[in-house]
Amino acid sequence: MDNLFVWIIIRKLRLPILIIIITFSIAILGMVLIPGVDNHGKIYHLSIFDAFYFVSYMASTIGFGESPYSFTYPQKLWVSFSIYSTVIGWFYGIGAIISLMQDKILALELARARFVRSIKNFKDPFILVFGYNTTTKKLIERLNQESKRMVVIDKDQDKIEALALENYYPYVPGFVADALDTKILEIAGVKSKKCEAVIVVFEDDEKNMTIAMKCRYLNKNISFFIRSSDPHNNLYLKSLGFKHVENPFNVISKRFELALRAPHIWLLESWIYGKSLKMRQRDSIPDGKIVVYGHGRMGKALEEGLKKTGREYVFVDSEEIFNNSSFKQEIHGSEIMEKELLNAGLKNAKVIIATTRDDMINLSVITIAKKYNPKIYTITRENDLNDLEMFQSIQVDRNYVLEDIITSKIYINIAFPLTSTFLELLHEHDDNWGHSLVKRITSKIGYKPGLCEIKISKEQTLALFNVLRKKETVKLDVLKRSRTNYKKYNPLLFLMIIRGRKKIILPKNDFEIEIGDKLLITCSEESETDLMYILNNFYELYYVMHGRDKISGILGMLNTK
Amino acid sequence: MNLQKVISGFFFILAMTLNFGFFYGSPTVLVEHSKYELFAAIIVNLIATVLKFGDKTQVGSVLLATSLVADIQLIISASLWSYGLYGLGNMNEEIITAVVSFSGGALLANITSVVIFVGDTLKSKR
Repeated sequence: MDNLFVWIIIRKLRLPILIIIITFSIAILGMVLIPGVDNHGKIYHLSIFDAFYFVSYMASTIGFGESPYSFTYPQKLWVSFSIYSTVIGWFYGIGAIISLMQDKILALELARARFVRSIKNFKDPFILVFGYNTTTKKLIERLNQESKRMVVIDKDQDKIEALALENYYPYVPGFVADALDTKILEIAGVKSKKCEAVIVVFEDDEKNMTIAMKCRYLNKNISFFIRSSDPHNNLYLKSLGFKHVENPFNVISKRFELALRAPHIWLLESWIYGKSLKMRQRDSIPDGKIVVYGHGRMGKALEEGLKKTGREYVFVDSEEIFNNSSFKQEIHGSEIMEKELLNAGLKNAKVIIATTRDDMINLSVITIAKKYNPKIYTITRENDLNDLEMFQSIQVDRNYVLEDIITSKIYINIAFPLTSTFLELLHEHDDNWGHSLVKRITSKIGYKPGLCEIKISKEQTLALFNVLRKKETVKLDVLKRSRTNYKKYNPLLFLMIIRGRKKIILPKNDFEIEIGDKLLITCSEESETDLMYILNNFYELYYVMHGRDKISGILGMLNTK
Repeated sequence: MNLQKVISGFFFILAMTLNFGFFYGSPTVLVEHSKYELFAAIIVNLIATVLKFGDKTQVGSVLLATSLVADIQLIISASLWSYGLYGLGNMNEEIITAVVSFSGGALLANITSVVIFVGDTLKSKR
């Protein structure tokens, strides 16, 4: 049998039930054998049923009184003996049941059974998330809004309880278990056909890798979202066929390089990841020397990016300074740090980047930099989300939060998978192109346009699918039209169309749509609703195509003739 | 010798013999069937059932099932007796036959249980 908890219950209840049976039967037998006297003074024997009835309410301490007649002294003697034996047996039984309810093993088994059942009941594909921490929490919140189904596994009981308190809809089941256990992976539904993705974004690279490999052996069809900050590890994972290996430092380095090389392309990219399309003053990084504090994982990743841009840069490494000195205790705002930074040319630098894994060091680097060079452009790495307020209060120009970067990247890949292709295409273009695109989008839709993805198929675009199947040609232009007046256009822009292997960025208005095309669109919320109506409602589609209402039935037939 | 086997074997076989003792006799004559024997059969059967709790093996599951069948049949038999005596007021032949035949059904379940138990014991090499 699968559900172990039934066995645990009956096994633990064996002794209590045995005791109840034995004490009850002895008491009943005694009551039957001992003669009593009825109201007329005649001798009688209780029937087995009478005795059973009496003992049942005596043992359970309900006590309706003596029946059917008052007892004689020999009977009373027997009853007083039975009270102690049966009541104790009864209480022992109840106590055993109650302690069983509090039994941890049983509770775990019940939780497991519930968890397995809720996964089995999933009708839609689901995503398996390992660990419930600030990173995954944000991710779950955002994906939940897209109505994605998720399952969470965490070692910590408190965290799973916190998850249950969040009241996500659709419900996100959680389970307390060690993700490194292969059996747990199976329970969590890795082998299920409906498991579409696995997210492992622990800070420990090795752990991420182990879990990902195990999941892959169990099910080859899942897509993985793995965090890995080590470049070698990254390459290895990619060579194994994992598509989405996220290295936060690499992302930061690439974005920084992009921000230096083509600010408008950078702006578009950060918009895709959820920021606004407005270029603020502090978004433009000034020309000049760059001082980077810290030559760890992030520092090294940045160095690669900096090399490509050809900008002048200097590295100052904290570890090296402090390892060689006796000042280990006074890391924050130490004189040595100050001296090293000044030696590196802080005073005539234009940009300072603090990249260590300690927020306090990063903050003090910025403070020192501002002290000697108030106009310097500051960039920081924030490790702990709780420190956000401090970073805001010293007015950092650009702040990289590792967790944010990972969540937004994974979110966009799951919610809008086409965007990763779009971003690749974006990087091929230069800044002027990016500038004109930004202008085009903002003038049409505004500074915070939404994204949407559509595949021309029966499920997603019924009306258009039926029209296209009849070999009618539909141009992109038609889909932009307003439902209220076909001569007007909705604020809507087709960013990219994917047809088979062909990728068309910013398709023209006379582009002819075919079945199977995948469209990446940016639009306001209102025009998204409009578009969905046009794509799915035949009458709406007919109106925007022909400029008049479709009249069906006999009238319609007359009309066409 | 395995003490657990002795105890459970004792109860399984006692359940069967007691049941047989009750069942044996003319099905229409109540005097030939002792109420104490039925009482004892029910108690021993219940104990035998509890002894089978928690055995996760295939054989254990089948033994538990047969035992539960015997329990239910015997309890129905006893309930019918009570119903005839107190509900109807007199034990007519129909009720008496039903009481006896229900215990007969339980006897079959008991026999199955003992056969499986003995078979399993013979199979065991220890």
